[in-house]
Amino acid sequence: MDFLADGFRRAFALLFSGDAEVYGIALLTTKVALIATALACAAGIPAGFALASRPFWGRRAALTVVNTALAFPTVVVGLLLYGLLSRRGPLGSLRLLYTWPAIVIGDVFLAFPVAAALSAAAVQGVDPRIRRTAQTLGAGAWRTAWAVAREARFALAAVLTAAFGQTVAEVGAAMIVGGNIRGSTRTLTTAVALYASQGEFGLALALGIILVVLALVVNVGLQLLQGRGRA
Amino acid sequence: MLELRGVRHRYNGRVVLELDTFSVTAGAQIAIVGHNGSGKSTLLRILALLERPSEGEVLLDGRPVSDLRPQGPWAPRRHVTLVEQQPVLFRGKVSDNLGYGLRVRGVRRSAVNQRVAEVAERFALTRLLGRHSHELSDGEVQRVAVARALAVEPDILLLDEPASAADRAAAHALYHALAEERQRRSFAICLASHQLEDAYRWGDDIRALAEGRLSPVTPENLFRVELPEAAVGALKHARVGPLTIAVVTERSGPAILAIPATDIVVSKERVPSSARNVFAGRVTRLARERPGAVHVTADVGVDLVAVVSEEAVSDLGLSPGGGAVFAFKASAVRVF
Repeated sequence: MDFLADGFRRAFALLFSGDAEVYGIALLTTKVALIATALACAAGIPAGFALASRPFWGRRAALTVVNTALAFPTVVVGLLLYGLLSRRGPLGSLRLLYTWPAIVIGDVFLAFPVAAALSAAAVQGVDPRIRRTAQTLGAGAWRTAWAVAREARFALAAVLTAAFGQTVAEVGAAMIVGGNIRGSTRTLTTAVALYASQGEFGLALALGIILVVLALVVNVGLQLLQGRGRA
Repeated sequence: MLELRGVRHRYNGRVVLELDTFSVTAGAQIAIVGHNGSGKSTLLRILALLERPSEGEVLLDGRPVSDLRPQGPWAPRRHVTLVEQQPVLFRGKVSDNLGYGLRVRGVRRSAVNQRVAEVAERFALTRLLGRHSHELSDGEVQRVAVARALAVEPDILLLDEPASAADRAAAHALYHALAEERQRRSFAICLASHQLEDAYRWGDDIRALAEGRLSPVTPENLFRVELPEAAVGALKHARVGPLTIAVVTERSGPAILAIPATDIVVSKERVPSSARNVFAGRVTRLARERPGAVHVTADVGVDLVAVVSEEAVSDLGLSPGGGAVFAFKASAVRVF
């Protein structure tokens, strides 16, 4: 128990000391997560709409792929991406391996299925009369999609939350393609894994607390937005 | 204006609609009657261009709708507006809902506000404009949905069971508002209902749908008549072709008489009874629309349809070409 209590004491001391390394890691994690969430949702939510909105050849197969991808092991995605980005890989010339954009790419691959599958479910949950009503009143494709999105906005906000949760908590791919380089590609999750393995329990715990606070802040922010739009 | 040609529509391989032709002309007042599941809603969705038929063509002003789609599927749709059986309102205020169709057409905000105020006044919705959609009763939702559809001034308004969510008073108010709207501006109405009364009230062209097909046995027994003035309480007699039909009503002037097919008693010979209307003629057709019920059409000077049981057909020996007497009480005749 002492060991745990000592860990918490160190964690709070670090948090309030304004340690540059700790806050640098937190900032990088936030940046990576926000960019990856934005990219994954920008592609995943329209894909989810397309999957849910109208039947097309291969739709069921596409849904199965997306749903299967939800359970894709992050380290496997990391390995595949490593193969693509390494010097001998087809995208090696981009020199992205062991950079933070590589972590973003890995996170996007992992969060895209989350955004697509959950937004497809959100759209499928909207009363089909909403779409028909918008169409019969003369709305085009975009206006109709917007009408559906407005009805599903709470579920779509949950998509953002889930995608952010996926990117901020991801460790396997970030470790492999980011390399966990101090001051460059070290994120909260990779740092926690490293410090815990080195016995730096207090430091690992401090970073873990920041991670939880970060997720909490984003969730509270989204809930506040949902509250404003509840009318 | 809007026409279906050779339309067949399938759900999961099952044919749910099969129409050689179906047209809605400018300014028409069409009532489609049929039981639940007869294909009315599917037909309306195809007419509203919300569903493409599995086979066949939909023509708007003589041009296949598929030719008009390159402009965008919404271009032909903007001529036709459907109000579903249980309409939904978008989240937001009643005023937002009423202005939706105008906003998607790019109408300026000031013009939208003006049109919304006008249509709200005509449908007695002005006091509801600031309310949120989830605060409305079913009847109010129905009225807002119809007003929202009319705000865009469609050439054809399709109504699916418009009175189903409303009580009789609300339904009456809705029909009254629609009638006023038609006086203000000419547009076609195509109404689907399982209630003959709604059809009689609305349609000057009544079409029956059964199992996805236009039924040859229409819920006819409908006659346009001129009712004479008469003393209160006295029977009135209306001329229908060569027949004189006794009616209990206080109305006079132009009217539609509806004789419910189930209220006609069929016999082989005239029998003394309280029925004031007794007509002899020849059976022209026997149709079995649903198990156990036979639609007997007889030419008694005009075509009359009666619904009797299979057992009655057998007992009376009814068959095409044979004689039959149709009798119904003056009080059974409905006047619209």
